[in-house]
Amino acid sequence: MSAQYDDGTILLDDATLERFHRATGGEAWPCYQCGTCTATCPWGRVRQEPLLVRTLMRNAQLGIDEDGESLWLCTSCGICEDRCPRGVPIVRILRALRSLAWKDRRIPEGLPSVLWAVHRDGNPYSLPPCERTRWADDLEVKEFEPTDEMLLYLGCTASYDRRIQKVARSVVGGLRAAGVQFGTLGASEPCCGETALAMGQTAFAAEIAEANAKLFAARGVKTVVTISPHCFDMFQNHTPRLDEGFEALHYTQFLARLVSAGRLVCRGSFPRRVAFHDPCYLGRRNGEYDAPRTVLESIPGAEIVELEESRAGALCCGAGGGRMFLETPVGERFSDLRVRQAANAGAEVLATACPFCITCLEESAPQVDQPLKVMDVAEIAARALEPEGADVEATASGR
Amino acid sequence: MAASLIRPEEAQRIWVWLEHDGTSLEGVSLELLAKGRELADRSGEGLVGLLMGHELDSLADEALGYGADEIVVAEDPLLEVYTTDAWCDAAAQVVLEKKPNILLFGATPDGRDLAGRLAVRLRTGLTADCTDLEIKTDEPALMLAAEVTGFGGGVAAIIACKENRPQMATVRPGVFRPALRRSHGEEGVQSRCPVRIDPGRVRTRVLERRIGEAVDITKAEALVVGGRGVKGDFGLLETLAGLLGAELGASRVAVDEGWIEKDRMIGQTGSVTRPKVAIVCGVSGAMQFTVGIMEADTVVAINSDPEAPIFESADYCVVDDLFSILPPLIRELENSR
Ligand SMILES: Cc1cc2nc3c(=O)[nH]c(=O)nc-3n(C[C@H](O)[C@H](O)[C@H](O)COP(=O)(O)OP(=O)(O)OC[C@H]3O[C@@H](n4cnc5c(N)ncnc54)[C@H](O)[C@@H]3O)c2cc1C
Ligand code: SF4
Ligand code: SF4
Repeated sequence: MSAQYDDGTILLDDATLERFHRATGGEAWPCYQCGTCTATCPWGRVRQEPLLVRTLMRNAQLGIDEDGESLWLCTSCGICEDRCPRGVPIVRILRALRSLAWKDRRIPEGLPSVLWAVHRDGNPYSLPPCERTRWADDLEVKEFEPTDEMLLYLGCTASYDRRIQKVARSVVGGLRAAGVQFGTLGASEPCCGETALAMGQTAFAAEIAEANAKLFAARGVKTVVTISPHCFDMFQNHTPRLDEGFEALHYTQFLARLVSAGRLVCRGSFPRRVAFHDPCYLGRRNGEYDAPRTVLESIPGAEIVELEESRAGALCCGAGGGRMFLETPVGERFSDLRVRQAANAGAEVLATACPFCITCLEESAPQVDQPLKVMDVAEIAARALEPEGADVEATASGR
Repeated sequence: MAASLIRPEEAQRIWVWLEHDGTSLEGVSLELLAKGRELADRSGEGLVGLLMGHELDSLADEALGYGADEIVVAEDPLLEVYTTDAWCDAAAQVVLEKKPNILLFGATPDGRDLAGRLAVRLRTGLTADCTDLEIKTDEPALMLAAEVTGFGGGVAAIIACKENRPQMATVRPGVFRPALRRSHGEEGVQSRCPVRIDPGRVRTRVLERRIGEAVDITKAEALVVGGRGVKGDFGLLETLAGLLGAELGASRVAVDEGWIEKDRMIGQTGSVTRPKVAIVCGVSGAMQFTVGIMEADTVVAINSDPEAPIFESADYCVVDDLFSILPPLIRELENSR
């Protein structure tokens, strides 16, 4: 352990240095301490003292232990990485430091029980696996078969959270309207493991990813389409490919393909000013900015406006990197800034395409004076499928 | 390893050391009773809860209802608060008298302290900080296999204690689901095991015990919970809570608005509570909230919106304005006093 004395002197030691070096793979070394990361990190906008990302990188280089809190603030939004002139994989380094913190048991209260829930129940919410399909009770969504065009992967939040279940139902509505043959894994759908990865449990996440790769291979999955960009990122970048492998897509990408192929046509309309909030895990982390906009632009009546910070410069909602499971005090929530940007852009609807973003933005929305509705791209599309804007979600009768 | 003081063939039953604060059992003890019950049923063994302390009558009655076949009570004035010497002495006497086959502790500060000392005293092994327990019924003397992994470090290992008895383990809190209260008639029996503690051997004296002000709603037996719907006024809820002996709880919105302290927040980034009853007023029922009341025995929801998702998580649904429901309820409770 590196030691810090009252006069500020820090004593470095080789053992800690070696340990840090091994955990981070030495990836912090290219950092030349310019400070761009600290300056771009959104924490600087909501707190007096910004998150000292540059210091974290220096400490990673030298093997200096963290005080505790700052390591867990990072939402893995990736904007610092995007701007870093040295290409330092800052988020990966912070995750590595988190993994060391687990070993030393310097972990924020509440996180172990989230991981135990993933381990025991296959979801981070400690909810029963048998209730995983309740979102679709009246939808008759079938089990996936290898002949299907794709596997629809719900993910834990869309499976269990009532609010996000509506998004899932809307996605189903869109797929059915386009005549897509698809299925789900039903009650046996596993967790994607992103929560574990984000919290720095890299080994556990790798274990989950490997099991999922085997499951996909065994079930003959060629294309997996996710509701959450977090699951998408996990399948796209952190899950191994076995046999012939599989293609991972976020649902907006799949819907955009359907739109381009003329298979998904909105015959109704959605006459509103809509601003799109880019989820970090779809945008910056995976470079997908166009697909959700393609879907929105295909909706008659929708007037798309851009937020002040959008696409690669988008401001994070604040829930990534495990922050969905850590309390953020009032006044420090990025989503508060984001809904104000939406109000400034004159948006009536703030659209996004991530369960975590929806939850955060929706909670912040009452803070702006004008009415601001937070909707998922799929919900807007589903509402515009039929003339009259008949139905938001897929229903049994509408099938 | 030293020879066991208890022979495997004379060792019997699965024991759980029941930790408590004098009025209620710790969550991890309920978790161990649930897991112990499962292991007991699988192996055809009995399940025993060991309750130690001073003046335990009501707690002993309470402990009977969580699935143990027997609650063994060991009382002594020197056991009023936890000290390593007194508790280890007393526990060793009970164990040598009753000869448990398996003895489980919560991996709490006191549980870890006691189990370590006791294992040495009893010349047996201790598997610390387990995350899963399995019983091998094919072994003649019912072997306990304890898994040690870690969300918090360490490598996975399966550890068994082959020859020495009892087979002891401390188990990490939060790994198993807690036992639910059984209905009357399904309770176990109670017995006493006298212990003699030599005050001269107790090297610590507790001079004064002070308990901090902070509320811990995770231990509340009854909760009255408010959300945005209370519109800044927790007065009615506080009166109701007072009449019911309940604690106040809140949704994040109510905390954000500054209507109530932060340590009363329930949910994903608040506390996960396990009350017998929760009366939830003016809360819509976002999943980030409901995960914090999933383990409640009975949920009564009062909400003016019949479509509010909270009703899906409730046993009793009251569709009405909380400001018209609560006053007559409070009056009724006051009159019945
Ligand atoms: C990262 C993150 C973490 C979160 N963690 C938590 C958490 O731990 N705990 C938590 O609670 N939330 C949490 N939330 C917030 C959660 O998403 C919801 O926004 C919040 O729970 C809503 O609180 P509420 O039900 O009090 O308010 P609302 O959703 O506004 O609901 C108010 C309800 O009161 C009803 N009502 C209004 N007036 C009356 C009346 N007179 N009589 C009866 N009913 C009435 C309304 O019908 C409505 O259903 C979190 C959010 C995020 C983004
Ligand atoms: S922006 Fe990159 S180079 Fe500059 S301090 Fe941060 S990590 Fe180092
Ligand atoms: S990823 Fe985002 S939150 Fe994390 S340090 Fe970089 S800018 Fe800050």
